[in-house]
Amino acid sequence: MAEVLTSLSDAMAELVETASKSIVRIEARRRLPATGIVWSADGVILTAHHIIESDEEIQIGLPDGSTAAAVLVGRDPSTDVAVLRAQGTVSLTAPTWAELDTVKVGHLVLALGRPGDQVQATLGVISALSSQWQGPQRGGGRGRGGRRGGGRGRGFPFGGGDGGERDNVIYRREGGGQQDTFVQTDVVMYPGFSGGPLVGAGGQILGMNTSALMRGISLTIPTPTIRRVIETLLTHGKVRRGYLGVTAQPVKLPDNLAQELDQEVGLMVIAVEPDSPAHKGGMVLGDVLVTLGDEAVENVDELLSLLRGDQVGKALKARIVRGGQVQEVEVTVGERS
Amino acid sequence: MSGANSVVNTDENGAAGFDLLRQLNDEIAGVIDHVWQSLVQVSDGERGGGAGTIWHSDGLIVTNAHVVGNRSRLDVTLPNGEVLPAQVLALAADYDLAALVVEADGLPTIEPGDSKKLSPGEWVFAVGHPWGVLGAVTGGVVIGMGGQLPELPQTGRDWLAVNLHMRPGHSGGPLVDVRGRLVGVNTMITGPDVGFAVPVHVVKAFLKEALKDQVAEAV
Repeated sequence: MAEVLTSLSDAMAELVETASKSIVRIEARRRLPATGIVWSADGVILTAHHIIESDEEIQIGLPDGSTAAAVLVGRDPSTDVAVLRAQGTVSLTAPTWAELDTVKVGHLVLALGRPGDQVQATLGVISALSSQWQGPQRGGGRGRGGRRGGGRGRGFPFGGGDGGERDNVIYRREGGGQQDTFVQTDVVMYPGFSGGPLVGAGGQILGMNTSALMRGISLTIPTPTIRRVIETLLTHGKVRRGYLGVTAQPVKLPDNLAQELDQEVGLMVIAVEPDSPAHKGGMVLGDVLVTLGDEAVENVDELLSLLRGDQVGKALKARIVRGGQVQEVEVTVGERS
Repeated sequence: MSGANSVVNTDENGAAGFDLLRQLNDEIAGVIDHVWQSLVQVSDGERGGGAGTIWHSDGLIVTNAHVVGNRSRLDVTLPNGEVLPAQVLALAADYDLAALVVEADGLPTIEPGDSKKLSPGEWVFAVGHPWGVLGAVTGGVVIGMGGQLPELPQTGRDWLAVNLHMRPGHSGGPLVDVRGRLVGVNTMITGPDVGFAVPVHVVKAFLKEALKDQVAEAV
């Protein structure tokens, strides 16, 4: 008798059945419906931003076969997270969410979806994990990984090489949202699976699967990122991101300045938007940005990660090189619209 | 047989996990050994064909209609290598099923499972002759079952979607559950890792209809 095999198979089917109580269908686009996960029993539903084409007349299909109306609370294209609120009195079951600290590369995982009435499942393994990862950004990320590049370089499917090459393989222009962990799996994203959960062997939900952040790669937005984005969306209706209004590229600093500043590379400003925070702060074409708020900026990714939402409205000291001289200006971080 | 504990033997290095995996592998091999006994090849003696499963020991074989196609001659190769000419007993293009007969008796058959009770996440194995590789196996899980699968025309007919590497040549062959019971007939793929099988309850209905006609003719 196939004891281990049947136990394994039964356990997996049971795990799907248990998780399915928190998995809903989301009808918010013309073609195939997609999947959502109950975040809290009071009606908050998590799904993928990219599956919401119309934010009017969103319907959700519940595990008991009934449907309910839902409204869009907010969405964050950078992490592909959207939050809905179910309308009326609906019976929802929140699942157990887990952090990734017990998850290892090679672990079995299931992806679930409910594009129709029934929950569906695919099987895979955790392919790659890394401690910090910032989603690829169109037109950004031209610099090499630099000091922060460790997380991105290791396990990154495109080798963490030159940013220009990476841009070619990026599908979503909205990318660039900060994620707490980079989770790649080999689960098949069956049609309508986006917005559905990645379920670990313990039955807990490890995150939300999306096929839209990177073409051909099944990525999972991890629980801590989801939690952070949902809390922001529930409070503000959107995720705030800081804005300076410059276009910049990395340049090597002259030896004497490199020595003086203890930094080899800065960001040369090659365009300043009129009336932008950078413009108002006195930054001009040709300035080389060295630090912002006392943090070194050696590539565009570093600058972007300094422009977090909580920096909006703050006046930051920017150290720049202008005409061979080190100067300081002050810029007040704006909000990207 | 007293649950998982009886199969976990921690050795001196504490390598219980390896024992578990070894046992899992042995068990899968056992299931496949069993399935091979009733797995046949269906061909016209020239080009590569597909697979089939012995349904009845008297020589009734189930395969896909598209494996039969419009071949003028059909050979069935039994697991022991014996090649027998086959006749088409019934064929239903819309179900993509065919019933063949060969003159034989005492053939090893496979127990049908309950495809209506399959759950998403359950393990299944597809066996056939992909690209002419005899008896090749692919394993994975049930994605879903029913008449509402997104990639298929909404005809209301039941399909079994499975997450494994099915390939041409698996067609007509058996899809089995972890107990080695026949749950479907491998039929088509829509992607590298997504295959579809006709569930065994549909096969049963097809055979019931086909055999009823045979009985009527015989009378």
